[in-house]
Amino acid sequence: MVKEQIKPMTSRERVLAGLRREPVDRTPVCNPTSVATVELMDLVDAHFPEANRNPEMMARLAATGYTEIGFDSIMPVFSIIQESSALGCKMQWEQKDNWPTVRMREPIWRDVEDVVIPNDFLTHPDTACVIECIKILKKEYGDDVAIIGKTMGPWTLGYHCFGVEPFLLMSLDDPGKTKLALERMKEATIQFGMAQIEAGADALTVPDHATGDLVSGEYYDRYLKDMHAEFVDLLPVPLILHICGRTVDRMNSIAETGIAAFHFDSKNKPQESMDIIEDRISLVGNINNPETLYAKGPDAVRDEVCANLDAGVHMVGPECAIPLQTAIENLTAIPNAVKEWHSRRESH
Amino acid sequence: MADLQDISNEKIRQEIEEFVENPDEIERNIETFARVRPLMQEIAAALIEGDDGTVDALTKQALEDKIDALEIMDDGLIAAMGVVGIKFRDNYIFVPEVLACARAMKAGMAYIEPILSASGVEPLATVIMGMVKGDLHDIGKNLCIMMLRGSGFNVVDLGVDTSDDEFIDAVEEHSAPILGMSALLTTTMPNMGKTIEAFIDADMRDDVKIMVGGAPVTQEFADDMGADAYGKDALECVAVAKGFLSVQA
Ligand code: B12
Ligand SMILES: [Zn+2]
Repeated sequence: MVKEQIKPMTSRERVLAGLRREPVDRTPVCNPTSVATVELMDLVDAHFPEANRNPEMMARLAATGYTEIGFDSIMPVFSIIQESSALGCKMQWEQKDNWPTVRMREPIWRDVEDVVIPNDFLTHPDTACVIECIKILKKEYGDDVAIIGKTMGPWTLGYHCFGVEPFLLMSLDDPGKTKLALERMKEATIQFGMAQIEAGADALTVPDHATGDLVSGEYYDRYLKDMHAEFVDLLPVPLILHICGRTVDRMNSIAETGIAAFHFDSKNKPQESMDIIEDRISLVGNINNPETLYAKGPDAVRDEVCANLDAGVHMVGPECAIPLQTAIENLTAIPNAVKEWHSRRESH
Repeated sequence: MADLQDISNEKIRQEIEEFVENPDEIERNIETFARVRPLMQEIAAALIEGDDGTVDALTKQALEDKIDALEIMDDGLIAAMGVVGIKFRDNYIFVPEVLACARAMKAGMAYIEPILSASGVEPLATVIMGMVKGDLHDIGKNLCIMMLRGSGFNVVDLGVDTSDDEFIDAVEEHSAPILGMSALLTTTMPNMGKTIEAFIDADMRDDVKIMVGGAPVTQEFADDMGADAYGKDALECVAVAKGFLSVQA
């Protein structure tokens, strides 16, 4: 909701208002997932893989989302693997030009009994790094910018720890066991989320890849809807659920969880998505990554931004982790396009 | 021309009626299943259900009844995978269900494979498949592999994060006429082109047909990289591989 008479807001106020669907001075620009690009790494001398493991470097690289690109939030987790590493998964840290990943072909768990959250889960270097980084960012930018943390949901942890195929087969063969495994894994989501809130996070992204590219909408209802609603009760900051890929068939269920916002992918049309959520939650998104941000230019980016704004999407940003080779000018095109759109509207 | 009512198995009739929409595909499936014997239809129905126990038992029974292993593979297992591929492409089923069907296929093939190789029956061809360097998304590639195997190809799976050398060595070792590469990341897509370069440098580019795929890959990108073909889903992957063979023949 945009009211012309509203007084200028800080980036932080704008994002927090956007998450509550309250009036804003202009639509917040926000990426609840990674902003890292190779160009930005060079700019602040904080490169992958170190920037995923060293809190100062992580903070430096994350802050470029605000200082260089002009987003209204800072979200410092560039991967989806910090907690999986702390859970004991085999890691592939990769190089400057690729994201680190879990070797899902060498899973660490086979059965529910194996699901144990280690005692050092929050002091493991790869989770502690994020917590430490949030403290740094809070201190340096916390008054002006929304600091968003990230804690992975149990479904994605399941892919990492059981391996995607064994986990998906278990979900079909033994729903009871799968639910139990999710119940146990969700402790990791809650612990890591709480620790980031204590460190100063204003909001949390919760990625949980139950996407239409992999599983049915009925799966979302069966396994995750109630659990996501429970996260809303247990984690006392606004939550942004992230599921990339096709999700329109489960957006109604997502809206029913009471989550503050949903970060949606370009495979779902802005207007169609807005119609489904019916003002129950906020939407963040959905500028296409591989085709638009990575491969096209600022004009194409502007068109997608406008499509979102025209549909009334509450916060605008990329659909998922920004491709690492994306040009900075394509990213700055997002806030620029948002500002242009608003000034066009005011002059009417 | 056969008619739906010519198929004796009710489950197969229902599957075709409910989930197959494309007229050519309807016709092809009716032709196939109307022709095959009831036990093969039963095997196919169990595979489509993802019921590996039943596929296991029925395959064993069919072999005991002296039905030819090749017939069981073609008329039971492969025919069923065709329906599975269509249902997945058209979003009637999702990855877990397809994985269960693949497991059922494997249960049947566990009996068939040793018989076929002992009797010297050749697969259609060998296909080398792998995710390019740096890419660990393997669900789509694995579905392609299943459909290729489910269509009679022998597939060597190089897994994820495959280097140029691994691709080259595998093509050489297996004298494979077809290579498939998959990438899901913009950061790893260019590695397709690098691997193709490596084949040129190794003087092997003419020995192998190269197909590429994965969500961000497009026909245009495939052309730029110098690939021979692009496929947008697992069914196209099979069609492309078959197309390579007919060109060679
Ligand atoms: C599931 C998923 C994951 C899983 C992967 C599990 C696994 N073992 O595969 C997890 C959660 C672990 C994951 C991790 C990451 N992911 Co991911 N992931 C996805 C997601 C949601 C679905 C991909 C998928 O499996 N689709 C289903 C399969 C069946 O489709 P498919 O792979 O396209 O395959 C079909 C066709 O393409 C074709 N095909 C495939 N291969 C081939 C080959 C040939 C020869 C042919 C002919 C055809 C063909 O047939 C298949 C069957 O029909 C996509 C989003 C999306 N909508 O695509 C993001 C996505 C691919 N991921 C993305 C990212 C960024 C990541 C991470 C970097 C996240 C991070 N920040 O850490 C990591 C990187 C891992 C790595 N280094 O590889 C981005 C990539 C963006 C980019 N610019 O490159 C995407 C596009 C999300 C987005 N919208 O931005 N991911
Ligand atoms: Zn994503």
